[in-house]
Amino acid sequence: MRPNKSKQVLLLSTAMLSFISFWKAASIILCDFGSSAYYAGGIAMKAFGPAFPWYIMGVMLFAGLMLGVYTESCTMFVRGGVYVVVKEAMGKVMAKLSVSALIFDYLLTGPISSVTAGLYLASLLENLLPLMNIDWQMPSRTFAVFFAALVTVYFWRENIRGVEESADNNLRIIGFVTVVAVILMVWAGVTLYIRGFSLPPLRPQFSQEALGWTVNFPWLKTVGIIGIVMAFGHSILALSGIETLAQVYREIEDPKVENLKKAVKTIFIFSILFTGVLTFVSALIIPADLIAGKYSDNLLSGLAFELSGPYWARLAMQSAVVLSGALMLVGAVNTSFVGSNGVLNRVAEDGILHDWFRHLHHKYGTTHRITNIIAITQILIIFISGGDVFLLGEAYAFGVLWSLTFNTASMIILRFKKNDEKRDWMFPCNLKVDNVYVPVGLTVVLMILLAATGMNMLTKKIATIAGVLFTMTFFIIFHISEKLNQTKAQFYAPDADAEEKLNLRREADISSIIPELKKPRCVLIPARNPNNLLHLKTVLETVEDANTDIIVLNAKIARGIATGQEAMGEEDKELFRAVVLMAEKYGKTVKPLLVFSNDPFYSIAQVAQTIGVDEIVMGVSGSTGAETQLEKLAMAWGMLKRSEGAAKIVTARVIWEGRQMSYQLS
Amino acid sequence: MIKQLDSVSFAYLLKPENVFFLKGEFSRESAVGFLTEKIYPQLENVISGKMLSQKVAEVESSNQVLETGFYIPHAKFTEIGRFYMALGLLPSGFNDQASGLTVKAVMLLLSPNKPVFFQKHLNMLSKLSRIFQPAFIETLLSSSSPEAACAILHKAI
Repeated sequence: MRPNKSKQVLLLSTAMLSFISFWKAASIILCDFGSSAYYAGGIAMKAFGPAFPWYIMGVMLFAGLMLGVYTESCTMFVRGGVYVVVKEAMGKVMAKLSVSALIFDYLLTGPISSVTAGLYLASLLENLLPLMNIDWQMPSRTFAVFFAALVTVYFWRENIRGVEESADNNLRIIGFVTVVAVILMVWAGVTLYIRGFSLPPLRPQFSQEALGWTVNFPWLKTVGIIGIVMAFGHSILALSGIETLAQVYREIEDPKVENLKKAVKTIFIFSILFTGVLTFVSALIIPADLIAGKYSDNLLSGLAFELSGPYWARLAMQSAVVLSGALMLVGAVNTSFVGSNGVLNRVAEDGILHDWFRHLHHKYGTTHRITNIIAITQILIIFISGGDVFLLGEAYAFGVLWSLTFNTASMIILRFKKNDEKRDWMFPCNLKVDNVYVPVGLTVVLMILLAATGMNMLTKKIATIAGVLFTMTFFIIFHISEKLNQTKAQFYAPDADAEEKLNLRREADISSIIPELKKPRCVLIPARNPNNLLHLKTVLETVEDANTDIIVLNAKIARGIATGQEAMGEEDKELFRAVVLMAEKYGKTVKPLLVFSNDPFYSIAQVAQTIGVDEIVMGVSGSTGAETQLEKLAMAWGMLKRSEGAAKIVTARVIWEGRQMSYQLS
Repeated sequence: MIKQLDSVSFAYLLKPENVFFLKGEFSRESAVGFLTEKIYPQLENVISGKMLSQKVAEVESSNQVLETGFYIPHAKFTEIGRFYMALGLLPSGFNDQASGLTVKAVMLLLSPNKPVFFQKHLNMLSKLSRIFQPAFIETLLSSSSPEAACAILHKAI
């Protein structure tokens, strides 16, 4: 009798899919979205004067509506974002346009954040260095430019090396920022109590620069509703980073929709208090001439320094504000790399980005060409801006507004186009007409966005010119890439790298993953057909993520002797993609495994016994049927079991539409 | 939902008259055919020989030899009310074309095709697969008679 070595199981790869709490999700988004608090007020002040805190607060309230729009879109598309939503609603051409605007937004996120961080540091150094008898002569903008370039180079290197952003770090940063913000708010309250205050004017007074091309249209008066829309448009950049919600949603843990709502509420409250209230308080405490001059680039640093109290205490508060700001803003630079890389990879999956851009780094396996382009563009923008945050802010609003407008318009269209699709959450204010929930609320949001977008096109010359140029450049790149990919597809087989990279890890044997299984229960789910995952769905719907490890096992049939170099096939990738998508949908952690064997039931039994699972849940096989599957599993189970022992009870289940069959393995 | 949690107990089913030493040249088909023929007299009042052969052959086509070199051809019949077993021990063994394994022990198992028996059926398959490891098969092959083989089996079970 000869043992058949080819039946020995080889664990080839694992791909861990883990999910994060709503706190962590909120902190990731706030590191980007909340960071605008450090520059939005100063930019708005420069554009339309002392009325700015009202409009920043208005934009933060409007952020609540936009978060609502994104909540509905996230619940519809687990892997959403502007590109996916717009493509579904308006088709590929509009999707390419919207994603081009979004890339412009991401490309500017890095420079505006890093330059602002540099300006905040420079403002602190101006106060600190003289105390140490150091003669500080470097202009703050020059310092900011070099600091921003250094930060960009640092994150370029990190992203080339594939160092992943840690949600824990984001949470720590937001925790620190919150503590600093609370102290700042309390102290500001005391200062206002001591000094008294008068509310800022409501009417905006636009600078010549902020009027843009509207000076050529005398009928466009800067008063009344038009003035409000203009000022709103100049403040809208405070909304930047909201798209991150769509990118992060897939990572939110079970119960996904509930946690999304909690994250959204957290973001909204934080934004109102942090960006809205602190900006407002700054305007009440800092004299208007100082906001327009000394503190236009570092408003919150100025707030800390202008509080009532001894010099050393104010300096300490300023240091804390600058440190927290620098951490948050620098984090946003990384988000810009990760975000633009993610968005470009997403569109590449759809075949609208040429493979040249997606070439993988020979050592780190990262999309280094995309990262290089992002870094070079950002450094160029930093140097061209000369550290002028107002200039950057002007341009920044273009991408923010257009991507939000496209997203909202698409959500309205989808109400009609996908009226039969059940929403887990719907933006409020709807009229039910037949089977359609007519989106009155969404339409109001779109009207506001369109008004601001239209007005910004006229008032922000730099934003319009640069935005249109960048957007069209990216649109052309996407368009040409798509054509080239279509031509290529006629001659070549599909590129193996054309899909999302699975996180592969080759292991010597199954037992090496045991230390990673820390939960009290473990369920093994054999899967082979991406279209037959009802059993996985059932498990994801019923088990508690907190106490159950879910292992999805693809037991691949491999003939002959195992070489240890077996590779994933297209069908395996397709299966794992379907598994990952389903796990993302339910926000539950799964551990997909691929093993090679010439007997899948042998593999199932071996993996189950080695790991010590509590349950095996199979889908019904169309070719054999549930009974035969259980017979084969029972035989493999018995063959591998060495002794009767006092082994724990393991349940084997076969699930199919409306039925299931259970069996206890002995 | 079908739930079956009965325990297994089959030692009494295998009597010396159902244990056979298959000496000489055998193939997978001929070994299974031999055991089917030998077990048939116990069933002739309930099912026809043709039906028995057809059903066993049908299940056979999708059945696999175990890694241990043990083979369990099995079939379920609604007409029968209890389990039937026949063991074939092949000192020379036969080479299974599908798996490339050498098979020295074949256990034909016939089960009642009723939900209430399915858990027992699975338990039997599992238990047989566990007991019939290569060393145990060699011990059975070295036994002098069906009675001795049966005694070894009963002891193991």
